[in-house]
Amino acid sequence: MKNWRYIVYAVVIVLAISLPFYTGAYHQHVATTILMFLTLALSWDMLIRAGQLSFGIAGFFGVGGYAAAITYLNWDISPFLSIALGGLAAFVIALVLGFAVLRLRGMYFAITTLALAEIFRVIVRNWSSLTGGPEGMVLPSTIFGGDSAQIYWLLLAIAIATIIVSEVFQRTRIHFALTSIRNNETVAKASGVDIFKYLVLAFAITSAIQGIVGGAYAQIYGFVSPEGSFHLDFTLLPLAMALLGGMYSTPGPVVGGLVLGIVAEYLKLQIPYGHLLVYGVIIVVVILFMPKGIVGTIRERLQRR
Amino acid sequence: MKRNLVGIISVLCALLIAVAFSGCAAPPPVEPIKLGAVNPLGDITGAQASKAMQLAAKEINDAGGVLGRPIEVIVIDSELKPEKGAAALDKLATVDNVDVFIGGMSSGVHMGEIPTLKKYEKVTVWIGAASHVCEEALEGCDWYFHIHPWDYLQGESYLEGWTAISEQNPEVKIDNWFWTYEEGGFGTASYAASEELYKDWITMTGESFKSAALGGGDYSALLEHAKDYNPDVFVWVGYGADALPIMEQAKAIGFAPPLFLGSPPGWPADFGESPLAEDVCLYGMWAPSIKEVSTVSKHFWDAYIAEYNEEPATYFCPLGYTNVYIVADAIERAGTLDEDALIAALEETEYASPMGEVVTFSPSNIIKHQGVRGQKILQWQNGEQQVLWPFEFATAEIAYPFPSWEGR
Amino acid sequence: MQLLSKLKQRNYQIAIACIIVAVILAIWKPSVLIYGSQRAGLYASIAIPMALILGVVGIINLAHGQFMMLGAYLAYWISVSTGADPLVAMVPVFLAMFVVGMLTYRGCIKYVLKAPELNQLLLTFGLAMILEQLANLLWTSQPVKAHVGYASASASIGSFTFGTFDFVNVAMAIAILIALLLFLKRTRTGQAALAVGQNPRGAKLVGINIDRTYLLIFSISIAIVGALGALFLTRHSIFPLVGGTYTLKSFCLVAMAGIGNLTGVLWCSLGLGLAEAFIMSFKGYGGWADMVFFALIIIVIIVRSYQRRVI
Repeated sequence: MKNWRYIVYAVVIVLAISLPFYTGAYHQHVATTILMFLTLALSWDMLIRAGQLSFGIAGFFGVGGYAAAITYLNWDISPFLSIALGGLAAFVIALVLGFAVLRLRGMYFAITTLALAEIFRVIVRNWSSLTGGPEGMVLPSTIFGGDSAQIYWLLLAIAIATIIVSEVFQRTRIHFALTSIRNNETVAKASGVDIFKYLVLAFAITSAIQGIVGGAYAQIYGFVSPEGSFHLDFTLLPLAMALLGGMYSTPGPVVGGLVLGIVAEYLKLQIPYGHLLVYGVIIVVVILFMPKGIVGTIRERLQRR
Repeated sequence: MKRNLVGIISVLCALLIAVAFSGCAAPPPVEPIKLGAVNPLGDITGAQASKAMQLAAKEINDAGGVLGRPIEVIVIDSELKPEKGAAALDKLATVDNVDVFIGGMSSGVHMGEIPTLKKYEKVTVWIGAASHVCEEALEGCDWYFHIHPWDYLQGESYLEGWTAISEQNPEVKIDNWFWTYEEGGFGTASYAASEELYKDWITMTGESFKSAALGGGDYSALLEHAKDYNPDVFVWVGYGADALPIMEQAKAIGFAPPLFLGSPPGWPADFGESPLAEDVCLYGMWAPSIKEVSTVSKHFWDAYIAEYNEEPATYFCPLGYTNVYIVADAIERAGTLDEDALIAALEETEYASPMGEVVTFSPSNIIKHQGVRGQKILQWQNGEQQVLWPFEFATAEIAYPFPSWEGR
Repeated sequence: MQLLSKLKQRNYQIAIACIIVAVILAIWKPSVLIYGSQRAGLYASIAIPMALILGVVGIINLAHGQFMMLGAYLAYWISVSTGADPLVAMVPVFLAMFVVGMLTYRGCIKYVLKAPELNQLLLTFGLAMILEQLANLLWTSQPVKAHVGYASASASIGSFTFGTFDFVNVAMAIAILIALLLFLKRTRTGQAALAVGQNPRGAKLVGINIDRTYLLIFSISIAIVGALGALFLTRHSIFPLVGGTYTLKSFCLVAMAGIGNLTGVLWCSLGLGLAEAFIMSFKGYGGWADMVFFALIIIVIIVRSYQRRVI
């Protein structure tokens, strides 16, 4: 009965939307952080579906954050517009850079994205007149005045939008294009797929998503800084979530994000000293016993029946 | 069969009655006064500060508690991440229902915590954050008390301190300074503040470097520039990981300025044992040697070692102890947890701290309640940090000039 | 005539260009040449073992710098408890880390090799976290260092005094490279490893024990980088998170040199070290040194990718 899947989705969505009504500020805050990383994980996965491994999430996250902060500080615009502009800035930069770097494959592309992220950080740090330099910039107010419920809904909307985009990637022609590129480029080229166009598109869109999340982060916490906004954690943690949950699918990064996010917070409260050690052990154990990720392994088990 | 059933039911009834009576017999537990702390437990500063807080709470409770109630310190790890620090505050406020926020360390993390603090407007007595950028975000927050000195306050205190030292020791020359600072927020803010504060006092020039704590650690170029500049005072603002390599590289190129001054928030574990450490000056809020001139400091030192079998390694340790005592003392004087009364009581604080000075609150540039207004000037002598200034806590005279590298 | 035709060959052109640059630097900014090459030695010596693993075993080891950190702490522990010099401790640390490498391979790496490719990434990420947290729990986050007088050894050329100890990094890098190249090209096990790196299935068909080869190469790499930790301890303060940047930089260098190109790592490190030192020699521009590092990497990677297409 295929319909049960849609019922599950509907229930999950209703629960997610109504979360602020049955939880307090703390749980909403944790949920917001989980949604942020989950969205980043999903955006990373969308690019890996084309076979392109990216280590540059933090770069576009930071670009989005700074673009949002700079536009908000210098022009009289609403926070939402600044977040959208953050995404736009990331989109444009990714588009322009994409033409140069998307000819690279595998490790070389990965290192290039990592190097780009570091370059963005250095530029932001040194261009003090525009970005406030190493000390960063403070925003005069935070979005929604700090109300956890509305902040949660904002991130939920961003996450759901990303899930929809991810599903579009999975179902339309884009899916076939990206998967065929990933599996065998020569064959893809031979069948007439314009590899380059699809890669640039995927790169730009996923970078825009990362920029939007970065802009939201800046607006929620009210400040940006070179060390904070371009932190490597914004690259490594979403990566871990997508890998743990299962790549090449939408549920994978979502599940990975939820599991790792909830586990991290729970462990922190239970084991104040050394919770990260347990976190690392859990990652190692899960990946050893579930090579296809959580979702992938569940799918396998279900199929076997 | 029936007998077994009767037996089981009677045992169950007996148990239920026993539980009910035990519940009645025990007096209702006294609701403790809760202080919620957000510290970086993965870092030595936060780990020790948390332990010092628990020590203070234990001492206070052993002496009868506050207003007849025990005091409880709930610590949540900030993981040195702004969003985690902010979420921790949410939990402390809404789940643990703490009465006061305390703790802190990093300025960067604090920036992320400030919006959440503003949401609750609880009385907050914070021991972290030195960046003036944080202060800018706290305008109008009259429920906020800040114990750690802001970066510009530290700079002002050094100006006062060095002037006093050079007046007492006329051979100490402090006219020409070469600064080197780590290129992140911490170092840059420190240098920018000093450039502004000292422009009429000394001539100075500066150069940034990438700290070894963040993957750098190559000071050769800037030490060459410093050597060419030939300053009276050489200052480096970085992290503990920079301390020894910068000395070693200075020795390698033969650069030994008359005054070698380091300003990291903490020093490496065994810095004193290195022969290169002799007569290096430093800035800090506290040194173990203060226990020689302050009974509170000695008591803290002995009590901490007795409780945890380790020595306090950074000034955040006595700072954590101070944090809890200041809050407890204010609650006792206020006689209530009512916020306005508590704020008024905190404003009257005069606490003799293990860092030597008596902590009181007065306005700084933007906020109304600033505690400690400067740091001390210290010097490594014979492997130990000695206090040079303020003179009231001085444990040694300055050794000047910085000895040459020969034979070290 | 032979000389002229040789001059037209690209390698010789590059070599002559390098010599000219070296001479110019030696006269104009000798510090750049000295410190740049010292720094390059450090980067290269750490990156070459990673290139070995990537080339033969084909996995991204995100815990590379963390193994170095572990080796450094082991050396620190040995030197504190026995009073031995960290350089002397390099030998027991090498052996200990070899065992650690074997256990790591047998315990986890082996299983992810057959799994979808990126799982090794996640596994080594988890391992890196475990190593960092173990070090934090055992030794706290406060930096430690070994105090050795020779770390500030120096020499003078005229009025210019400079540190000479760091040349040991250059020596190490060259020694490691030569040792590994000899091993890979001259010994049977090494040649087998090369074969496995180029074509695992083909090597298996010819009867080479892939698992044993991977085990050996992985353990050697971990042992080398662990021993380098002991050397690192003499010149740097160590703390649990010290390894992260070196993982990153090694990674970048390996990609820049081209996967499987061990010698290239040495040359690329040299280029980057000199470029960094050059920027830092201008007062006030030190903040851009990082960007030059990463920009050069991107340029080389992109230029090389275009070259390949042309060919």
